Amino acid sequence: MKRSFVLFLMMIVVSGVGVAGIAGAQTPDATELMKTAHLNMYYPGDDGVAKVDMRITDKRGKTRTRKFVILRKDWEEGGEQRYYVYFFEPNDVRRTTFMAWKNPDADDSRWIYIPALDLVKPISANDKKSSFVGSDFSYEDVSGRPWTDDVHTFLKEEELDGHPTYVIESKPKKKDYFARKLTWIDKDSSLILREEYYDSKDRLQKVFETLEIKVIDGITTAVKRRMSTPKKKNVTELSFGDISYNVGIDAKVFSERFLKSPPREYIQE
Amino acid sequence: MIAKLLLRPSIHHPRMVLGLILVLTIAAGLQFPKIKIDTDPENMLPADEEVRLVHSAIKEEFGLHDFLVVGIVDDQTVFTPEILERVQRITDALYDIDGVIVDDILAPSEVDDIQPQEGGGIRVQTLMESVPETDAEAQVVLAQIKSNPILKGKLASEDGKALAIFIPLESKDVAMEVGRKIQELIDADHGDEQYFLAGQPVAQDTFGAAMFSQMAYSAPAAFVLIFLLMLYFFRKPMVVLAPMLLAIVTVVWTMGLLIGMGYTVHIMSSMIPIFLIPIAVLNSIHILSSIHAHYHRKGSVEDTLEHTVNDLFLPMAFTSLTTIVGFASLVATPIPPVQVFGAFVALGVFFAWILSMVFIPAYAMVLPQGMLASFAQRRDDHAAAPGRLFAIYRFSRRFRVALLVGLGLLMVVAGYGVSQIVVNDNPVNWFKPGSPLRVADRVMNEHIAGTYLAYLSLSGDEDQAFLDPEWMRWADELQTSLFEEPNVGGVSSVVDVLKKVQYELLDRAPGSNQLAGSREKIAQYLFLYEMSGGSPDDLFKFITPGQNSINLWIQMHQGDNQRVSEVIQGVEEFVRDHPMPEGMNLRWGGLSYINVEWQNLMVSGMGKALAGSYVVVLLMMIALFRSFRLGVLAMVPLTATILLIYGYVGFSGRNYDMPIAVLSSLSLGLSIDFAIHFLQRTRDIFRREDEDFERAMIVFFDEPANALLRNIVVIALGFLPMFFATLVPYVTVGMFFFAIMLVSGSATFLTMPAALSFFPARTISGRARSES
Repeated sequence: MKRSFVLFLMMIVVSGVGVAGIAGAQTPDATELMKTAHLNMYYPGDDGVAKVDMRITDKRGKTRTRKFVILRKDWEEGGEQRYYVYFFEPNDVRRTTFMAWKNPDADDSRWIYIPALDLVKPISANDKKSSFVGSDFSYEDVSGRPWTDDVHTFLKEEELDGHPTYVIESKPKKKDYFARKLTWIDKDSSLILREEYYDSKDRLQKVFETLEIKVIDGITTAVKRRMSTPKKKNVTELSFGDISYNVGIDAKVFSERFLKSPPREYIQE
Repeated sequence: MIAKLLLRPSIHHPRMVLGLILVLTIAAGLQFPKIKIDTDPENMLPADEEVRLVHSAIKEEFGLHDFLVVGIVDDQTVFTPEILERVQRITDALYDIDGVIVDDILAPSEVDDIQPQEGGGIRVQTLMESVPETDAEAQVVLAQIKSNPILKGKLASEDGKALAIFIPLESKDVAMEVGRKIQELIDADHGDEQYFLAGQPVAQDTFGAAMFSQMAYSAPAAFVLIFLLMLYFFRKPMVVLAPMLLAIVTVVWTMGLLIGMGYTVHIMSSMIPIFLIPIAVLNSIHILSSIHAHYHRKGSVEDTLEHTVNDLFLPMAFTSLTTIVGFASLVATPIPPVQVFGAFVALGVFFAWILSMVFIPAYAMVLPQGMLASFAQRRDDHAAAPGRLFAIYRFSRRFRVALLVGLGLLMVVAGYGVSQIVVNDNPVNWFKPGSPLRVADRVMNEHIAGTYLAYLSLSGDEDQAFLDPEWMRWADELQTSLFEEPNVGGVSSVVDVLKKVQYELLDRAPGSNQLAGSREKIAQYLFLYEMSGGSPDDLFKFITPGQNSINLWIQMHQGDNQRVSEVIQGVEEFVRDHPMPEGMNLRWGGLSYINVEWQNLMVSGMGKALAGSYVVVLLMMIALFRSFRLGVLAMVPLTATILLIYGYVGFSGRNYDMPIAVLSSLSLGLSIDFAIHFLQRTRDIFRREDEDFERAMIVFFDEPANALLRNIVVIALGFLPMFFATLVPYVTVGMFFFAIMLVSGSATFLTMPAALSFFPARTISGRARSES
């Protein structure tokens, strides 16, 4: 008698907290949350320019630096977009440029300009596994993994470093390099604060973190991001600076011709 | 007298003495469960040895690990969909084993290949993305391997008949588990193709297991055989039990102390019991022989023991001390496992010596009264008629000139043989030729570029030193010269990556398959490799992230130190003819190189140890006999034994390897014993027999010669079971015991009386000494 009463009380308390926390009677739609977060992280504005400082630190504390300017233009919100990258560092690769046409439904197309040969060449690599310029970020991590590739389940709400977050579990629809992913989405900004990737034996493979958030041109942006590979004790940090959104980049810039002669209005030596 | 003092507790309180020995033995035995086996060949050198530090630094710098190698061989081709499917299954299974460094597995479905891309450009992608469905597709995989200088000869043989999976392990402990899993998969499904497991971790694991079984088999087998031989000579099991117990106590004390002090059991120290058992038994045979001969004349146990100890104290002290010197000299070698071995055998010999003076008498005291009486020889007349063995003396005396000249000539010839000795070792050869590991080693090295790896690291202090085309070109030329070495099956380096990137980038244009000539090109090709999907970790196996060090992987067909040394010399010659760019350093790493290094240290170390202990023993002999000439004479059988055995090694072309090197100390320690017993006891008898040499010989060739002969037979035959051991070092030890007994025994018996007959009575009796 008594015991069941206590249980009844507890149920009321628990459901009450749940209702209060979610600000709605139902559990949040995990897929919808992931879509919003994805668009905020990888499709802010219609286009954007930023200077990126990339630091790759290995387990012995040795750091390699890459500095580049990145231009992005969205063809379709959440769909096709194009990137243009101009490298300043490492020194001996200065003036190397790179272009990617991202197509969520097919393989990306990529080209590189090699200054030492004065040649533009198409390159291709497995998006998911291949590292981007030797960092812990894969090509897919840089441009964002389409939320439509996974099945999402809402797990819980949790406070992460002082931010209230939704925790979502995602499993790939098709067999992939990870078996399970946990995502912490900031309630306030709808940005991804943390992601943990696990393999089929539930070992932690890599961790993504947003280290710093700034509001730029009215858009809340993750300006410092980190990807770590615990097993290798390798860490890559990306810092975005001089960010501007909706600058109206000409679509022509994203062509082979501009790889050889960079658009000087965005790229100053 | 020390002898009397030593004897007193055993005679008056035998039970207390035996009880104390029992307690100490139990205490030592309790240490045994702590045993730690060490099969890591790197530990042949101290952990802080420069070579090992460099080796570890190179491994750390380039993220290298020891590989377990799975070889798949087929008479036709392994590049068929069925076999590749099985290879894929084996590879997939590795992902579920903890301790396998999956990112660094070298297998068709794991390694990257640089391929041309339609429309120009390159693509770095997995060599075999999915298992081919047709034979033609399977052959494409082979063609790609052959056109990639990094994979060629490494992953598959040129003819496609063999394929290798290289599995890097975090520690060798998982090698067994990996081997078992792979075997399961192979057992569940296989065709006509053959599978082989090879590589350092497997060898170490197998070796560790074999060592345990050898310890459990060889030592007890020798023990039982020695017991039976002793029983044949002395008849009474209760009496013969004494030396056997003494041997057990000696072994338990020594090994208990070794394990208790935290030393690991290495290949050499695993053989300590095998060395100690016969040495421990040797003294006992003399004591028993003496009791056997004198009991009835003396009448009481106490008197017999006193007589025996008086007679034998000096020769036993010196034979034990010389053996101790022989083994203790090993501490002077710079090889820790050999040092531990030498120190503890020396200690064990000391234990055996003390025990033979304390334990055997105490044991004799507690034996039932009638036991010794029935054991002893009934003979009242004292050396009246010459015994059977006296014939040996007659022979030696009659042909004394011929025998001495003959021995001299034999030693000269043997000396030439010693100069022909080939120093060479290869731990894989410690397994017998037919063992699965040796077979795998042979088959794999027939097909692929080689399972013996050495690393050659070139480095500069400045970051990006290797973007300098001059540096890269030097590395390229070095690599080309390495290919000309007959033992080198393959060399791969970042130079291959650079060439391959340019070759594919320039659409395989003629002349494009060469090293780029500018700093920008080198930097940008490497960058391009990383941009095109190449794993940075794969690249870092060849060049550090800071681009200041590069690593050449050298694959060799043969792991014999001699063959590896030739490769090292080849590099030295290259460096002499082509000076290194200013600021560049060259360092060697890899197990094959470490083996060469410790071999060099061992040879010079053993040389010094042997020379040092030889001089010490000579001085001891001069001191013992108070005569320079007798001291030198005592060294003759020992010198003959070492020369003849090592001369044989030289003539037969057998490799002078670590076990053979270490056994020189055994030869030294054991070969001197017969001479000591012969000379010391002859001197005692000579004095007693009024300096009549002929009469002294009659007495010597009775009981004392009998004891020596029993020693020879017991030790030589007791080690016959070791001829059938599965590990070659054990076989070698067995053969050495046999050879030492045979050569030093016959040298003593045949030439010592001959030589001594030329000496004046004054020298033989050592007149300076007071009569006893």
